[in-house]
Amino acid sequence: MEYSELVKDFLDDAEGHLGVFDSALLSLEKDNYHREVVVSTLGPLHTLKGNSGMMGYESLKVYIHQIEEVLKKVLDQEVAIETVIDALLDSANVIREVLQAIGNNPSSNPDLTDHILAIQKRLSGTDGGTARREIDLTSYLGTKTDTIKVDFKRFDDLLNLVGELVIYKTRLNQIETQMRGVIGSKSVAKELSGGLELMGKTIAGLQEGIMRARMLPVLHVFGKFPRMVRDLARPQEKEVELVFEGEETELDKTVIDEIEEPLLHIIRNAVDHGIEDVKERVRTGKDRRGIITLAAGQESNYVIIQVKDDGRGIDFDRVREAAIGKGLLKADDVPDKEDLVSLIFGAGFSTKKETTDISGRGIGLDIVSRNISKLNGQITVDSVPGRGTVFTIKLPLSLAIIPALMVEAGEEVYAIPMSAVDESIKVREQDIHVINDHEVIRFRERVIPVVRLDEFFNIPGNRKNRFYLIILGRAEKRLAVAVDRLRGQQEIVIKPLDDTFGKSYGIAGASVLGDGRIVLIADVIAFWNKTLEQRKRGSEEQSDPASGPLFVRAREQEV
Amino acid sequence: MPEIHLPASGLAEEILPRYQDKKQGFHLVTFHLGEEYGVPIHQVREIIRVSGITMVPNSPSYMEGVINLRGRVLPVLNLRKRLKLAAKEIGKTSRIVVAEAGEKVIGLLVDAVSHVIRVAPESVESAPEEVLEIDTDYITGVGKLKNRLVILLDLEKLLRRENIETSDIEDQGGTHGKED
Repeated sequence: MEYSELVKDFLDDAEGHLGVFDSALLSLEKDNYHREVVVSTLGPLHTLKGNSGMMGYESLKVYIHQIEEVLKKVLDQEVAIETVIDALLDSANVIREVLQAIGNNPSSNPDLTDHILAIQKRLSGTDGGTARREIDLTSYLGTKTDTIKVDFKRFDDLLNLVGELVIYKTRLNQIETQMRGVIGSKSVAKELSGGLELMGKTIAGLQEGIMRARMLPVLHVFGKFPRMVRDLARPQEKEVELVFEGEETELDKTVIDEIEEPLLHIIRNAVDHGIEDVKERVRTGKDRRGIITLAAGQESNYVIIQVKDDGRGIDFDRVREAAIGKGLLKADDVPDKEDLVSLIFGAGFSTKKETTDISGRGIGLDIVSRNISKLNGQITVDSVPGRGTVFTIKLPLSLAIIPALMVEAGEEVYAIPMSAVDESIKVREQDIHVINDHEVIRFRERVIPVVRLDEFFNIPGNRKNRFYLIILGRAEKRLAVAVDRLRGQQEIVIKPLDDTFGKSYGIAGASVLGDGRIVLIADVIAFWNKTLEQRKRGSEEQSDPASGPLFVRAREQEV
Repeated sequence: MPEIHLPASGLAEEILPRYQDKKQGFHLVTFHLGEEYGVPIHQVREIIRVSGITMVPNSPSYMEGVINLRGRVLPVLNLRKRLKLAAKEIGKTSRIVVAEAGEKVIGLLVDAVSHVIRVAPESVESAPEEVLEIDTDYITGVGKLKNRLVILLDLEKLLRRENIETSDIEDQGGTHGKED
């Protein structure tokens, strides 16, 4: 996103906040003091202040801060509203003028020192209230905006229609191919092909246009965290700076909404467990201030979001101890790093002995892993002791239309979201081994569990000696799903399945193919749960009470 | 439209309003599942031939699958299984009745669709108590025609969760789903 677009966003947003402030002031002037009215102005002003700071309008930020101070004094009843209402009304006009100036020249950075001094003077009583300032009348109209607010539902409806259009187009293409077989390459057939091709391009453009319209910069999410990080770090005697990279990267709004909570847990973990307190950092020769970097970027059809911290890194010895304590590992197990990393994504896992306000209750990373899978994404962790930890999340750009791998088992076709797939390999029956009644395969020097699609979904049919394995990735773990045949990759429109008859376990939704056939979309979480279940059956710990309610919630959120 | 007279017994008062379209009177679409069944015509959107049903794994046994109805993914209920009748193969006369039940639109797989009939209100009475069980309140009445009976179904009740018994497969899903 261009800087000028950011400015536009800022201005659109700012006018909304200023509008709230304005109408509150007018009501205060008319009806005198109402505590709620004053309080109602604080939120918008605070956001405006924050945004101004983020956009580099330092002076505006300081000015708004002064206004906040005035309002706080009013709330504390140190100052009567009557004595400052004029100054406040003036201040709204000042902000209005500043916004207008920025609108006229996005690179300008108005200096408000005089106004700041004036408002301080008024507060301190050294200025008994001056005459109202003259204001340019056109500033009341606000800056012209290029954006409109639209109910998101309308975009959903549009996208659905486009999805159907894509399906019909594919159908027409198939009919065209059939027709060529019948009438040969007469000119009418050529014209039809030409027409279809043009229509296809237009539809693709339409689809992309609507997808773009649903996109928001990831800053919408990132921007929510600086305050949280500060408030979390303060009582732990930590200094933490949150740095953004690539915050202009755009994501579908549905993904934006769903990514908030996973990021919250990861960042919270970085502050609580990753970054050391000031003393320890100084002792180990690090900068006093820890840095957490939130980075976003696009890679083909995916968005990569990283949370990096320069803290102490994951203490794998403690992870191992905690896992043994919880019975997840036996004392004589020799887990490798990958096993340990996947343990921290397990339910109810925490190495922290004391609990902070919202962290350390042993919930968090399991939710993260689950939510990411639900979004058809993947999460991986890399950690170097003493140097820090990097969480990398890979997500599809959109939740509505995703690339999927079409696979066959028996007579059935299933779609597996590409974002969950690492790769696919061709194997023979004798490559599969059985350990403790569970099928596994040796893959890149690792032994990974195999889930058979036909078995999982009770699909009838005869197995062949040669078949395919789809390797799924989740954090450091790998899982192979056995299918009879691969049909290739395809963009599919996800439609939710009606749940009148209950949710069908293992099915994330359905999609209509070009030939009108319906394929079901496999819910990769279910495959993971199957292996998890096998693992659990082997351990004594059957259920984790702490994780119960959260799982219920996670399920309700599923579409 | 004939005038509608309610029988003096009063039994039909509870039944009729659900089946009465103010203007159309009392019309049913009837279909066969061994016996003849009927649903109010205003709930029926269309009747289609059976083709291209995609089975949905880990779903209750009476869930036949899903079909593509002009781009919409429509669940299809095997009405025989839902009513606990003997199973029957899908044949030439089999049809899917696309019907509305409250907010939902579903397909009902039936052996054959007979026709649209008008039932005189006075010929409808509630099914004899002796044949009803607690969980069969979706049978709202019986229409007595010249030489046959039509069982009146309430689709909303038929689909209501608490009325749908937990099937064996749902149980299985439950143990799977524990982690979810």
